[in-house]
Amino acid sequence: MRAPTSPARAPERLTRWLVTLPPTLFLVVFFLVPAVIMAAASFRQPGEFGGLAPLAQGGLGLEAYRFVFEDVIYAWILAKSFAVAGLTTALCLLLAYPLALLIARSPRRRRNLLVLLVILPFASNLLIRVYAWIIILGPLNLLYSPVAVIAGMVYVHLPFMILPLYTNLEKHDPALLEAAQDLGAGTWTRFRRVTLPLSLPGILSGSALVFIPVLGMFAIPELLGGTGDLLIGNLIKEQFLDNRDWPLGATLSLLLTVAVLAVAAITAGFARRRKEAP
Amino acid sequence: MKTLVAALFLAFSLLARAEDVLHLYIWNNYISDATAARFEAWCGCRLKQDYYSDNEEMLAKLEAGAVGYDLLVPTGNAVQTLIRKGELKPLDPSRLPHFANIDPAYLTPWYDPGNRYSVPYAYTVTLIGYNATRLQELGLPTDTWALIFEPRYLEKLKGRVTVLNSARELMAAAMRYLGHSVQDTDPKKWQAARDLILRAKPYWATFSNSTYIKDLAIGNIWVAHGYSNDMFRAREDAKDARRPFAIGFAIPKEGAVLAVDNFVIHKSSPRPDLAHRFMDFMLQGENAADVSNLIGAGNPNAAARPHIRPEVAREAAIFPTAADLKRLEMLRDLEPKERRLLSRLWTEIKVK
Repeated sequence: MRAPTSPARAPERLTRWLVTLPPTLFLVVFFLVPAVIMAAASFRQPGEFGGLAPLAQGGLGLEAYRFVFEDVIYAWILAKSFAVAGLTTALCLLLAYPLALLIARSPRRRRNLLVLLVILPFASNLLIRVYAWIIILGPLNLLYSPVAVIAGMVYVHLPFMILPLYTNLEKHDPALLEAAQDLGAGTWTRFRRVTLPLSLPGILSGSALVFIPVLGMFAIPELLGGTGDLLIGNLIKEQFLDNRDWPLGATLSLLLTVAVLAVAAITAGFARRRKEAP
Repeated sequence: MKTLVAALFLAFSLLARAEDVLHLYIWNNYISDATAARFEAWCGCRLKQDYYSDNEEMLAKLEAGAVGYDLLVPTGNAVQTLIRKGELKPLDPSRLPHFANIDPAYLTPWYDPGNRYSVPYAYTVTLIGYNATRLQELGLPTDTWALIFEPRYLEKLKGRVTVLNSARELMAAAMRYLGHSVQDTDPKKWQAARDLILRAKPYWATFSNSTYIKDLAIGNIWVAHGYSNDMFRAREDAKDARRPFAIGFAIPKEGAVLAVDNFVIHKSSPRPDLAHRFMDFMLQGENAADVSNLIGAGNPNAAARPHIRPEVAREAAIFPTAADLKRLEMLRDLEPKERRLLSRLWTEIKVK
């Protein structure tokens, strides 16, 4: 039996629609449509001067895919990019966790100041901050090396790990830790059994916020990296900006998107399982 | 002081009419601040510059739909591409009374017969810049591509060499070193060039399109593959900073790439009138001389010659001799298939 619609329900539903419509439209126009265009471009032919060849002349085909899969080099670059992103995420987590914990446990009055300090680097342009690393790493003989790339990546993305961790850690109820202490848990056990499990959602969102942008980053490897530090982001950028081969660039972007979605799905599945666990 | 004046100038020009703005999309380090300021004062308008460091980058941005630029400064092969695509507005010769100043040798080039679209502005050679003091200590030659390709030389230079981050330019250097034309697109020869590059790569510090200027000037890098005007700037910077070494640059004896850069008007230009005024201003001898005196580029403008400092005019790497000119080649555009093949060779070069 259908529940009678109360007069109050209809406007409520309308409000819900009005609130969710703009973000939905935004995502459709600025994410879904470009993604479809990109997918379509990957099946087309490169134009004589770049761009895409007219459909009637070039037609559709799997050439760009065949080109990518017939040489192991592209898979290798994708794997290497995942390794760099994974290492960056791990280092960010190691550095960010103690700091986020410190901020979350400092007096309430000082917290805002500390958070402000964390986001202060955003006040200057990314490229200028990376150029500063050229000056720092040059005399250390570390410039133009994989170490420089990782250092730059960790530096730039650290705030994206600290902030979600802090937001999570700040909400923890201190009574839980007191209870654990009353039950005889030491510092390490309290961290391992109480704080760490509770902060998992923060770790996951922080990791996603670091991992995914690092995968697509091309400016840092270009400025700090050496002769071998080519990542998938550089390769895609090259197809559009240097090589004028849109179909190949679109194919590589699409493969990257699929890989990122796979990682996101695994992360989401992991988070859900945690939630369902007692 | 200079920045203060520039800031005041900017503030005033912002207060003045905002409509008279000429948008220039140009190579980085290709027009001096002094020239730009003089043009602004002369024309009573504002010159807004955006920069690129590779023709391909500029073409790709236009291909992606960038509009609103009045003037571009493409190299010959890119001029041809833009003409064939119908991206350019024809010039109005009646608005360029000083066009006759151009040296006839640079008129009606292969990429734009009759100069319907392009005014030659300056030329550069892709060559080798070096730390003359260090190379002399090491007893190394300075006039051959072997310096960046041969392990027997590179052993003494490990980590002190940069090459351009441009597939076209680096392959061109390798092709010349192997005795081929830079326009040769035979895949076998390209593969040989790739192998040559891969053999040398472990000794190089990085691929660089602009940071080598600073790295040479402060002494981080001793040998750089790059553009003559950039080497000129590195040399001047090192001089100004009183470094204990000197920077030199020379055209390798195996030959190199010559790039003639031209002013052209983009079809989306909102102000072709200002674009013509700018071009005619830059065609006048003393203004045209700036690009040689201050930037260190070669000059196709005959009326500029008397205004060029003798030490710049004498520099064979800026104004190549007739014998050098025979060994210089211009790049031509590639077909899509060739571009894709070159891209894979380039990726292999980067990863292996």
